[in-house]
Amino acid sequence: MTNGLNWRMNLKSDLSDSELLRAMLAGDEEALALLYRRRQSGIYRFALQMSGSKTIAEDVTQEVFLFLMREGHVFDPARGSVSAFLFGVARNHVLRRLRVEHLLAPLGEDSDDDAPFLHPSNDLCPLDDLTRAETIESVRKAVLSLPSKYREVVVLCELQDVSYGETAEILGCAIGTVRSRLHRARALLLEKLRPAAAVEETGSATVKSARCFA
Amino acid sequence: MNCQRFENVVSELARGQMMAAEQRGEALAHSETCERCAARLRDEEMLTRGLQSLAAEMETLDAPAAVEGKLLEAFRNREVVTRRRSNASYWAAAIAAMLLIAISVVVFRWSKAADEPRQAVKLEEPQVTPENKAPENKPAEEFAGVREQEDPLPQRPKPKRVRSSGVRRAESPQVANHVNNEVATDFIPLSYMSAASFQDGGQIIRVQVPRAALANFGLPVNMDRYNERVKADVLFGVDGRAQAIRFVQ
Repeated sequence: MTNGLNWRMNLKSDLSDSELLRAMLAGDEEALALLYRRRQSGIYRFALQMSGSKTIAEDVTQEVFLFLMREGHVFDPARGSVSAFLFGVARNHVLRRLRVEHLLAPLGEDSDDDAPFLHPSNDLCPLDDLTRAETIESVRKAVLSLPSKYREVVVLCELQDVSYGETAEILGCAIGTVRSRLHRARALLLEKLRPAAAVEETGSATVKSARCFA
Repeated sequence: MNCQRFENVVSELARGQMMAAEQRGEALAHSETCERCAARLRDEEMLTRGLQSLAAEMETLDAPAAVEGKLLEAFRNREVVTRRRSNASYWAAAIAAMLLIAISVVVFRWSKAADEPRQAVKLEEPQVTPENKAPENKPAEEFAGVREQEDPLPQRPKPKRVRSSGVRRAESPQVANHVNNEVATDFIPLSYMSAASFQDGGQIIRVQVPRAALANFGLPVNMDRYNERVKADVLFGVDGRAQAIRFVQ
């Protein structure tokens, strides 16, 4: 039974996202499963990197695909890819959820869900591993502390490796806006990370030479 | 390249983005001569490495497997609900269509039945409307709309054909008479009254007058039937005075 399902899914694995979406809307369950397996990871990570919460990320992933089942017909291939469409839906859900969480969150209390979600690496010695884990955790917290409009471009362009063009489609803005926001976001991240960087690389972060116009 | 231009490209440079080779060379050359820009580039590269590390760490993260199961279950339930809903909506549409047809038939028959007596009343008592009134200063011959068939009145002026169908025409007394197998002239004003001075309302009374009366209104008279009588409708105003007359066959 499972072998049969996998065999049929293999047959459809060559189909594009748009074709799978059409098939899914026509009632093809395998198309949904295939599309989900193809895209869930990116959506889940996007929601996790945006919110820092596994619970929210899980809920958002589910909501995105439920939305796709109900309202998938609103997808317009002329306006972008299925992936961009899904990221756009995920973004809306994450921002809505964060607004609600922000309103409900008790003051001065960190969520239990805010714990690091990084896997320890087996390739490094314990000290290097600790340093690396600390660095990554610092970056993660710095990203999470960014205002949402800067956070989303960092998550998409830097962490999800989405192109500027597709990011612009997802956010509904111009490519130039994406570039400028990313530039500003990186500057903010450096400001937040500078104390840590100063410890790691004493020289580079503390250099304050006069501006040159050579 | 100066520091300002270097600042514009330093992020792209640190991220290893596509850029013109010449621009890239100039930026790197500048960073070798400017200590501040070199530090800026190192910071950017460090940030890029940190972000890449974070992305790599999360590369393997997937949504919990339970999510897929829930989604597929929801999809199957949705399919069932949709199918049930489509069956229900099919029957609802069929019933609605049948009701609509039945109501349409009833309304059509009812309106037809209601129209028949109304039309009969109109035929028997035609209203005098301004359109039906004879225009002023026209010779009497023009008012003569008498049909030629079975008409004892020979050599009449060119008769007006009376048409018998159409909603607008049904309002005309001529048509009403025609429907009743009667043919009538237009109303001819009596005495010095003009057709324009006809009052609204009033009453029409059917009378019989000597055929010789036709001659008084300038209508031709068949001398062979001179002694016979002819039907006429006399229009009385609300003041009780006779205002006009028309001859009927």
